[in-house]
Amino acid sequence: MADKKNIKVRLYRFKNRLREKTAGLSGGEAKIPADVLAQAQAALADMAEDYPDWVSGLIDQLAEQHRRCVDSPDTRRVHFEEINHIAHDMKGQGGTFGYPLITAFADSLYGFSYSKGVLTDNHVELIKAHIDSMRAVITNRVKGDGGEIGTELTKGLNQAIEKHKIS
Amino acid sequence: MADYDFERLNVLLVEDSPFIRSLLTNCLKILGVGGVSTMDHGGDAIDFLKLVHSDPMKAGVMSIDMVISNWDMSPVDGMILLRWIRRHKDSPDRFLPFIMISAYSEKERVQEAREMGVSEFLTKPFTIESISQKLITTIERPRQFVHTGSYFGPDRRRVKVEFPGQDRRILTDKSPEVEVVHG
Repeated sequence: MADKKNIKVRLYRFKNRLREKTAGLSGGEAKIPADVLAQAQAALADMAEDYPDWVSGLIDQLAEQHRRCVDSPDTRRVHFEEINHIAHDMKGQGGTFGYPLITAFADSLYGFSYSKGVLTDNHVELIKAHIDSMRAVITNRVKGDGGEIGTELTKGLNQAIEKHKIS
Repeated sequence: MADYDFERLNVLLVEDSPFIRSLLTNCLKILGVGGVSTMDHGGDAIDFLKLVHSDPMKAGVMSIDMVISNWDMSPVDGMILLRWIRRHKDSPDRFLPFIMISAYSEKERVQEAREMGVSEFLTKPFTIESISQKLITTIERPRQFVHTGSYFGPDRRRVKVEFPGQDRRILTDKSPEVEVVHG
């Protein structure tokens, strides 16, 4: 038996009770039935229908934070942090509900809204460009890659990024 | 092949976005999970885990089998919750399987969660397939827990990788400095 005082590593190996609880004691392979997976997929699709309304509320919050950035340059950092937080949430959700462009634009906004340096008017303009692009995606229900409209929106946002390039 | 029966499974879901929380609850219930307790952030989850331990009748659930938690939440985020579960003296179950949900997919972030002892990582945006897969992996492939001076959590080496060079790991199961605890 090991001397307890000299033990440097403990390895804990437990019986798999979670498996016993969910797949029984037989030990054979188990699966989630296909019809159950299909039902869950349908529920996700149902919820996706409510997603545009919900995300519109988030875009309104972003617009409000942007307005404050314009009105109160002294407190920009606080509003940028809030924008960064909202963008983080949005980038994780769009793809789940069939709006990968929201995820892409929110990901870009997440990057641009995180800055430790001076927050210039160009930074603020960039925020506005992202909000406008996301609003266009939701207003026009641009799902998937959005085809031509999606390409145009992405191109428009990239042009705005180029125009307000932050050095 | 048998079907999983998640009826007796109790999951603690911690997510601050009501929309995502509702979505995940629905999905877990449709997959057959019998108990889904939901909390808004890590602080509430810690209080709830303590309550389940001290007064399960009042908590309405006898035990929690798995935590599925968002990372980015306020005021107490998923990493603080994970740290509490793995390391705090008041934690009722330091071995609790923990699935971290996050839109952070950067390598450093995933690494940070691993170092804190996360069991699985579910990246947003997610699909029914990815949610189910994480559930199954948590059930089918639990790792041994490792306790060293600087780490406590599931073994970070999930797979046995053949290494062409000399094996420089100093300690093995047979070393006197290693204790294997079975349970």
